[in-house]
Amino acid sequence: MQGDIPAASGAAPAVKARFDKVTKRFGTGDNAVQALEPISLDIAENAFVCLVGPSGCGKSTLLNILAGFEKPTTGQALMDGTPVRGPDPRRGVVFQQGALFTWMSVRDNVAFGPLATGKPSAEAARIADRYLEMVGLTAFAKRYPYELSGGMQQRVGIARALANDPEILLMDEPFAALDAQTRELLQEEIKRIWQSTRKTVLWITHSIEEALFLATDIVVMSARPGRIKARLAPQFALSEDPAVVASVEFVRMKAEIFGLLREESLAAQRQEAGR
Amino acid sequence: MSSLATPRDGGRTSRSLVINLGSFAALLLLWVLVTTPFGERPLVAPLFLPSPGSVWDTFLMLLKNGYQGKTLGYHLGISLFRFGIAFLMSVVVAVPLGLWMGMNETVKAVLDPPIEISRPMPKLALLPLLIIWFGIGEVAKVVIIVLALFPILSISAMQAVRGVGRRKVQAALALGASRAMIFRRVIFPASLPGIFTSVRVCIGLGVTMLVGAEMIATSAGIAYMAMSASDFLLTNVVIVGALIMAALGYLLDLCARALENRIVHWGGKEG
Repeated sequence: MQGDIPAASGAAPAVKARFDKVTKRFGTGDNAVQALEPISLDIAENAFVCLVGPSGCGKSTLLNILAGFEKPTTGQALMDGTPVRGPDPRRGVVFQQGALFTWMSVRDNVAFGPLATGKPSAEAARIADRYLEMVGLTAFAKRYPYELSGGMQQRVGIARALANDPEILLMDEPFAALDAQTRELLQEEIKRIWQSTRKTVLWITHSIEEALFLATDIVVMSARPGRIKARLAPQFALSEDPAVVASVEFVRMKAEIFGLLREESLAAQRQEAGR
Repeated sequence: MSSLATPRDGGRTSRSLVINLGSFAALLLLWVLVTTPFGERPLVAPLFLPSPGSVWDTFLMLLKNGYQGKTLGYHLGISLFRFGIAFLMSVVVAVPLGLWMGMNETVKAVLDPPIEISRPMPKLALLPLLIIWFGIGEVAKVVIIVLALFPILSISAMQAVRGVGRRKVQAALALGASRAMIFRRVIFPASLPGIFTSVRVCIGLGVTMLVGAEMIATSAGIAYMAMSASDFLLTNVVIVGALIMAALGYLLDLCARALENRIVHWGGKEG
């Protein structure tokens, strides 16, 4: 965004990340599975993009490709116009569970990224404390992950990813393993963090409500092989009122996405049965 | 893994502790009963099983006078020395090698055949050959223990590396960690619980190998003491020797477990 010419109001926002005709095929020969049909998708700077789709539709594969964990079969993922070659601290990743460093204290977990990117240890600890405060875990800095609840563990994962000040956050169903109450509280917290930092986010979820509540863009994917079936632009991400979930527009969009997803889930089920 | 480490989980309640002690006391009582002469003579002749009291007396006597001109402390010391040197050498060499095998396919391909082929072989069978090679000194005894522990430690270290969660490594990569940092701060600590498990297995096995090695061509050591006493039907000394070996194994395991609880307190827990 820091170009020579200031972006005029109304101009298209800058593209932070892009999937350029990305496909993915697992295995070879007769056992090969086409996970992704050619997918092209732009993720605008400061956008909060939610990917929803039936199980096995390739959402996680798409995220892994942008993270640099997997290579696309054809096409490429780009960030700021540069092809993704591997993992990079400019892209923070948060997993569903099982990714915290169990042998490190909560503070050391969060300080890992700053240390890895060359910050001196005192500064890394300061950065860690700042992000622990942001997610409300200051009092637990010296505890170990196994001493925390599932929701708190996810907050550590989020603070750890944020501590590198990444340009984009890639979040793979970060709340899927949590109970409903914890989930809702964390969704509000994520919304608050996003509203204050305006990081670009790519977020995968199964929950339509979560997507509507958080996203500026929702991308609905089809059953395998994954294609983009629909794109929606809900307006609730900027709202600070948790009660938006009860608004007429929210409920209407929820029904719309539900309808889209239901077709695809049934298709996915037929695929499973036909195998 | 966590079910083994009961103290850490607070699983050992005072109730089960009482039962533990009761069971131990019952065994001791049984020993007393079969060795006490209620009529003419005890149920089991002292030649086969002396009473606990006389075994205790023998222990005190051995403490005071030693056995065959060497103090009990000397016999114990030489046993500990053999075990300690062999155990340390095995851990220091086999664990890093196993970690390397876990990290590097080529190293694994090179080292897998000799380790896998030698693993199921009963190592004590090699002792006569080792005595030809190294004589009846300390070397053969240390080597036989190392041979027994080496494959277990290296294979389990390798497995521990391969079992490190892929997501943890991916998370470290995405946070910008170098390969060296990922090994030092992610893969190595994540492997430690698995390595500790095999270290504890190796303590038991190492003591067993020590006993085997000391029974052939030696003139000192606790197992030697028991073996040679058996030639003279000194059952008391044999039992003292066996109990010392049992206590040694138990204490070493206790130390390893304490160390484990301190260093890998997160073992078996997910976060």
